[in-house]
Amino acid sequence: MTKRQKQTLARILVTAGLFAALLILEKTGRLEPLGRRQALLFLLPYGLIAYDVLFAAARRIRQGIVFDENLLMLIATIAAFCIGEYAEAVAVMLFYQIGELFQSVAVGRSRRSISDLMEIVPAYANLVQGDAVTQVDPDDVAVGDVILIKAGERVPLDGEVLTGTSLLDTAALTGESVPRRVSPGDAIVSGCINGSGALTVRVTRAFEDSAVSKILELVETASSKKAKTEQFITRFAKIYTPFVTACALLIAVIPSIVTGDWREWLQRACIFLVISCPCALVISVPLGFFGGIGAASRRGVLVKGGNFLEAAAGVTTLVFDKTGTLTQGEFRVTRLLPADGDEETLLRLAALAESGSDHPVARSILAACGETPQAGAVSEWTETPGEGVEALAAGQRLAAGNAKLMARLVIAPPQVETAGTVVYLAADGQYRGAIVIEDAIKDGAAQAIADLRAAGVRQCVMLSGDRQAAAQAVGAQLGLDAVHAELLPAEKVGRVEMLLAEKGPKDILGYVGDGINDAPVLMRADLGFAMGSLGSDAAIEAADIVIMDDDLRRLPTVVRIARKTMRIVRENIWFALGVKLLVMLLGALGIANMWMAVFADVGVSVLAILNAMRTLRIK
Amino acid sequence: MKKKFAMEGVDCAVCAERMAEQIRKLPGVQNASVNFLTQKLILEAEEAQLEAILAAAQKAVGRIDKGARILL
Repeated sequence: MTKRQKQTLARILVTAGLFAALLILEKTGRLEPLGRRQALLFLLPYGLIAYDVLFAAARRIRQGIVFDENLLMLIATIAAFCIGEYAEAVAVMLFYQIGELFQSVAVGRSRRSISDLMEIVPAYANLVQGDAVTQVDPDDVAVGDVILIKAGERVPLDGEVLTGTSLLDTAALTGESVPRRVSPGDAIVSGCINGSGALTVRVTRAFEDSAVSKILELVETASSKKAKTEQFITRFAKIYTPFVTACALLIAVIPSIVTGDWREWLQRACIFLVISCPCALVISVPLGFFGGIGAASRRGVLVKGGNFLEAAAGVTTLVFDKTGTLTQGEFRVTRLLPADGDEETLLRLAALAESGSDHPVARSILAACGETPQAGAVSEWTETPGEGVEALAAGQRLAAGNAKLMARLVIAPPQVETAGTVVYLAADGQYRGAIVIEDAIKDGAAQAIADLRAAGVRQCVMLSGDRQAAAQAVGAQLGLDAVHAELLPAEKVGRVEMLLAEKGPKDILGYVGDGINDAPVLMRADLGFAMGSLGSDAAIEAADIVIMDDDLRRLPTVVRIARKTMRIVRENIWFALGVKLLVMLLGALGIANMWMAVFADVGVSVLAILNAMRTLRIK
Repeated sequence: MKKKFAMEGVDCAVCAERMAEQIRKLPGVQNASVNFLTQKLILEAEEAQLEAILAAAQKAVGRIDKGARILL
């Protein structure tokens, strides 16, 4: 609790004590001889609890603001005093203050748990100049400077490792708990924690351009992009107070004139004034969105605004890019089909043959083999573009390439059924086997698609620039509803526009891409998800929601968080409005009393805030 | 120019909206918003008049809530 909150608490306790004593005296009939002078006794706790409300109301009047909760609360309680409801007047103020205090503590607590999520800002950087190492503000480090990051320290700026190896904890940025290994030459991103060894790093980006600053900027401005629900509440709040005040005025005047019982109707009007603050809504709705965005960012998903969270809750169609989004975007050896059953020799010979080539196919075979053949092991090496390579190695004349190459060498390899690329290997004119290279589907992609369907996404579509066969294979493996292949980037936009035209007015179409070459499509879709690849600027700029660690399984998570957030927000709106309207109605009919009005005001507010705080903890 | 300032003591959401409204009315201010939850003022204003704007904004904030201020 802050100092201000503690003072309020002390005032509440003293007032409550005094008030309780007075109530006991009143109920036991000891105050009766005082008659109307009782008011003076009740004024004591009233003044103690209400003086700040009084000052605040006075300030409002000077500013010409009439529709203010403080002022209206004051009018209500003074009116209660005038008609002899002393205890009610004090109670309304007392509970109002208790509610306000509770609200302020609850909001403070959510603020803190949100700022804990943002605890990624480094406090200092160790600048290396010659032999000297000095601690400086990360802002003062220039691009090209060398910094030292000790074990356990937070990486202050984006850079490239010069010396040292270590394990980086990226959990604060990506939600990913498996540390990532870095060694000289690797790029590292600010905000991570250096786990094990000291690193010297050459800075590649100034602090204001670093990943940490970008992310922080994003999350902090996220709440300025308000969801439609939030905008509605802001507009609603503006008319709510004048409306309720007007009702109170009407109730105080018209029936009093008609019936002559002004005392009764004044009392009923007071009930309206006590419920005149839209506090429950104006605090709990933004808090709900804020909590939802916080919960997503704790899982490595950056949502750029409440409006996007709202949209994510309504996603019914998801369109995926293939390469780099559903697949890993790099070619890998997925099958070895040796003619004689010896996989290892097949791979080793192929690697020997390919060792001189820089073709992606050659690189993936070399990567699969693991060892790089020694220089000089290969001679008479030739590469024929569009066919393959030939070389003399290990005493054999090797040929590795596609069907065309085999045909030229008059070798008839068996058919291999695959959507990927096939590399045939021949040695001394003999067919030795085939190697299948594919762009492998990402881990968890199938799981992600299944979970998305469970979360309510009706249609999953894939767009790809790749060959029909390769695209269809991926689509079939993941169980997608439709696959459109061999598309140029501009045609992808066209496809998305067609899908946009087909969908219903309330359906939301999301596009998931890697954000670099997909920017136009990301912009065109209702909601753009980018696979963020830690700190890639293009992705962060173009998309509305950024998946920091490229894991497709974050998609169902964020849809679920969005849905739950919207549910909590709606619960609060209906609950708060429902109780307020009900109490007003009962108040007008003379059934509700002041106590119920206080509950409809601060009680509802506190409950709605507690409910909204649940968004912070959505799993 | 767009700049962010930390605030303290912004204790009610309705007041935050009122503060933003008052600051938006100041000369040289293009846009302003006060975020009640993050306690931040986001100000879009003429760089040259920044000092005067901030002084006036500080006063406006204090008028609406005595305990609130912009941290400069």
